Amino acid sequence: MKTSILTLTLSIFLCVAARAELKWEQNVIDLHPALGDKTAVAHFKYQNTGTTPVHFKSVKASCGCTTTQSQKEVVNPGEKGEVVATFNIGDRTGQQMKTVTVQTDDPNPSQATTVLTLKATIAQAMEVKPAFVYWQSGEEPKPKKISVKAAKDFPAKNITVKSNSPNFESKVEPGRTSGEWTIEVMPKDTSHPMGTALVVQSDYPKDAPKSFSVNVQITNPPGAPPLIRAGVPETSPGLRPPAAKAVTPAALPSPSPATH
Amino acid sequence: MKYAWRIVDLIVGGIFVYAGVSKVLDPAQFANDIDNYKTLPWFVSVRLAFYLPWLEIFCGLAVIFRFFYRGGLSILTALIAVFIGATVAAKMRGLDITCGCFGHVSKNWNFSTHLVLDFAIFAAVLALSFGNSRHRVEL
Amino acid sequence: MKFIAVREALILIALACLPAIGEGIYFRDKISWQSPIPASELVAVDQAKAWGDGAIWVDARPDDEFAQDHVPGAFSLNEDHWNELLPQFLPNWSPDKKVVIYCSAASCNAARDVAKRLRDEAQLRDVFVLQGGWEEWVKKSK
Repeated sequence: MKTSILTLTLSIFLCVAARAELKWEQNVIDLHPALGDKTAVAHFKYQNTGTTPVHFKSVKASCGCTTTQSQKEVVNPGEKGEVVATFNIGDRTGQQMKTVTVQTDDPNPSQATTVLTLKATIAQAMEVKPAFVYWQSGEEPKPKKISVKAAKDFPAKNITVKSNSPNFESKVEPGRTSGEWTIEVMPKDTSHPMGTALVVQSDYPKDAPKSFSVNVQITNPPGAPPLIRAGVPETSPGLRPPAAKAVTPAALPSPSPATH
Repeated sequence: MKYAWRIVDLIVGGIFVYAGVSKVLDPAQFANDIDNYKTLPWFVSVRLAFYLPWLEIFCGLAVIFRFFYRGGLSILTALIAVFIGATVAAKMRGLDITCGCFGHVSKNWNFSTHLVLDFAIFAAVLALSFGNSRHRVEL
Repeated sequence: MKFIAVREALILIALACLPAIGEGIYFRDKISWQSPIPASELVAVDQAKAWGDGAIWVDARPDDEFAQDHVPGAFSLNEDHWNELLPQFLPNWSPDKKVVIYCSAASCNAARDVAKRLRDEAQLRDVFVLQGGWEEWVKKSK
């Protein structure tokens, strides 16, 4: 009898004492990728501070733009490891927040699921706003303004503007502070719907100056078929062109708001 | 000793005034932060986002300047207890919470940091509520 | 003592209402009071379908999901290839069209993010997020 009670007590004690616990160094990682970086990588480090092994059941990112890699499937007591989350920046800008949900076999429900957060501040070399200006077909061809602001670590001194189409004229005015400009763009004629891109060429870096673009358009009257853009091959709705063009100072620019 | 309590008054009151002001400046963001807890419907979260920061500021000032002191302290105790409860509940549900006592100022803090600070503030307000009555310093 | 604390608390609760109401009035047009996505920016599948040719559909999902299947006539516009896809989308837009953006489901953020960029960067008006996303479209199309 006494032995049974002792065994039971010891068993209960061992069950209570035996626990798995994955302790995370940081649940939220803030990243500041440099201009031109294609990815932002966060290393979420953990350690098993418990007394039993922890098995990873799943590691899932909140979007397809983030891939995850877990070093181990089983973390023994005392062992350390990390989950690496790689965020593919693409053409994103500004504040981005992506999460990775980690499920383990921890019996404690509050420990079994952990949400790791990757925050990234994506810098833009130049902020071009708006990235799209338009006139309606037949509208008076008044000039429209676009503001260009260089980032602090993008020391462009001057910009020039070129258009794919002779129908659009543009003028650059320096802004109140260094690194700021205003572009005034105006169509000569709004009678025919058309669209094109203005290429905003900076003078930095000297060996391969970066360029950016602004989409300009004389829009269709209601009910008309889609326009053909000057300099852009016509493709089926929604599909990407067969080959993306790289942007160089000498070549015809690809019509994008920001290119690297 | 009574001056030590007064210093605690000023620190606790100052923390809540600072926390309130940081949230008054961006009520839309605070509304999103409350919504992240997924415990209240949006139309309640957004109204609380406007109201709670001002309540924190008034109660913080009440503790600093010792007007309506007991009332202010009671409200702050209740507020921090609710914050702690909501943060722990959210964590158990696996939610990513970037809001605690300090709204978006604390956006980079992890769960442990949030909890430790919230408990420290909770302990301080409890100490003021129960331990301070014998050490009241008149302005 | 307890009664004094309650009375003081009630006074503070009432006092805090005044600046809160003032701030609410100041922000009344800048905040959505009923839903995190303003109701004016959400559209149900049935309503969007009823717009017919007056709507231009945008798929905010990744390229592979778009390639598998999408709303007929929809344009792919996602943040992975924004710079390449935006100039393909814009020639098909005109001010009389309503832009309806969807991603995989109600819970995904991609459509909201694309909508925000179209409003902020391209300054388009009449930009809507499809309630329920692609999932809801498929359900209603059965």
